[in-house]
Amino acid sequence: MAPIIQIVKLTKKFGNFTAVDHLNLEVEEGEILGILGPNGAGKTTTLLMLTTVIKPTEGTALIGPYDVTREPDKARTLIGMAFQEPKLLWVDAPWDILNWHAKVCGLSAEERKKKVRWVLEELELWNDRFKSVHTFSGGMRKRVEIAKILIQRPKIAIVDEPTAQIDIVGKHRIWNMLRDLREEGSTILLATNELYEADVLSDRVAIMHRGKLLVCDEPKKLKDNIPGGDVVEITLDKAVPKETIEKLKEIRRVVNVSAIKEDYLKIYLNNAEEVLPKITEFFMEAHIPIKSIRMSEPSLDDVFAHYTGLTIEEAQRE
Amino acid sequence: MISLRRVWTVAERDIKMFLRYKFLLIMRAIWFVAQIALFGLVVNQMFRQDVQNAVGGSYFNYYTAGIIITMLYSTAVFIGYDIYEEADHGVIEYLLSVPVSRKELVLGRSIGGGLRSFLYVGPMMLFVLYIIGVSNVLQLLAAMSSLFLFTFGVAGFSITVAVSIKSSDRFDILMGVTDALIVRLSTTLYPVAYMPPYYKGLASVNPLSFAADLFRWGAGLESAALTPPLLATFGIVAFFSLFTFLGIVLHERRLEGGGWQ
Repeated sequence: MAPIIQIVKLTKKFGNFTAVDHLNLEVEEGEILGILGPNGAGKTTTLLMLTTVIKPTEGTALIGPYDVTREPDKARTLIGMAFQEPKLLWVDAPWDILNWHAKVCGLSAEERKKKVRWVLEELELWNDRFKSVHTFSGGMRKRVEIAKILIQRPKIAIVDEPTAQIDIVGKHRIWNMLRDLREEGSTILLATNELYEADVLSDRVAIMHRGKLLVCDEPKKLKDNIPGGDVVEITLDKAVPKETIEKLKEIRRVVNVSAIKEDYLKIYLNNAEEVLPKITEFFMEAHIPIKSIRMSEPSLDDVFAHYTGLTIEEAQRE
Repeated sequence: MISLRRVWTVAERDIKMFLRYKFLLIMRAIWFVAQIALFGLVVNQMFRQDVQNAVGGSYFNYYTAGIIITMLYSTAVFIGYDIYEEADHGVIEYLLSVPVSRKELVLGRSIGGGLRSFLYVGPMMLFVLYIIGVSNVLQLLAAMSSLFLFTFGVAGFSITVAVSIKSSDRFDILMGVTDALIVRLSTTLYPVAYMPPYYKGLASVNPLSFAADLFRWGAGLESAALTPPLLATFGIVAFFSLFTFLGIVLHERRLEGGGWQ
């Protein structure tokens, strides 16, 4: 099946600054693709080009069968976007904003009434539906913004940092609503700089930095592909001889072993779930009883650091 | 293919939005009352009979009809200020992302911007027509339909200028200067008989002159008109078409999110 989004050499320059640099990416129908990167990585610019809000300097993207540069009107019929910064006027009230959005997306009066009420109740905005957004907190405004997508239920939903400024309970509620949206057949493009959000929500994660796509794959594969990305910390009942450590290094997928103390080792390896039984067996055969084992997986931050040499935080500061 | 449903949805949004600017609406209404009850009445006392004759018998009637056109113009222009308000809050990006073509967006905004100006000025217009006394209702309705197009054209003009310069300060200054020139170089406030020839030339191609002449013709003050009604209607259609076309071209070829000052 052809991908629902095909991005080909997509480039956007603002004067001498290249915000997005020859981006190539395909998005499969029905998947949640997380676009991860620090602020300024080019995520939002990419999304704005896909929604035809800004025009590419070079390259293009196909939204379903429609080219964003040649058939932007048709491309927009498949897309709905929740922006990073809520796009609301101070005189607006949530009820009017969402009603108008539903209307412009072609929902009938009956559907509008039903869906607007549903989403306002789900996002705990029902009691404030006629209040001016001027009086709202950042989190409430953000909920109004995300509500547009939830009412529209587009073929392709583009969400830019959907849970920024939202409390943890609200985050989980929105994540579940996005998952439901996907279950109903929407493809979701999620731009975020929150590692956990990208990890728990995305089927695949595309990592961007300085306008370029560094890598795109399933979160687990990305983490597994970092050499020595998994860490197993083992405390043993007695000191481990140097030759045993050397033999331990010979186990397949073990990248490095560091003796923090005589009886405490840090083993850097890939695919820890597969290798861990071999390690326990190794120590049993060596007659060195294990007191405790602690395993930690690499995070997407480690993946980002692997490709850029910087953590996301460092890249943000940069 | 343009969908009238989508065009109307866009227009409806602009109309509702305008009604929320209560302060502006009240102030403009006070301005209208001041122009009629203070300036109009006093200036009318200053004019000799020959001047009164040149404007169809009563300068006050001539003036009140002209003020209605300037009101229509200045409220229809307000859509450009709305665009800057929206740009400030990023709503422009939102409007560019919804499933509405650029043509539908420009048409909807021109119609919305024009219609809301008509709705707002409507009661004042009725008041002025009551003062003047309408003799031919059909003539008035014909003039009104052209005035609808005039307000759509003014809104299209304002949208075109707003998206071309993308700077609220420049827009504000430019619209101030344009207002000064376009109102003063027209027949809205004074008759062509008292204009120097070079002013007269410019006034004869000014859409505000077309609108003022048509309104006066519709209200039965035809002797004061510079342009024949058919020609004035043609001028308004051309004005509306030009700025709707320019607005569409600019939206389709140039307008994109960001870069607003």
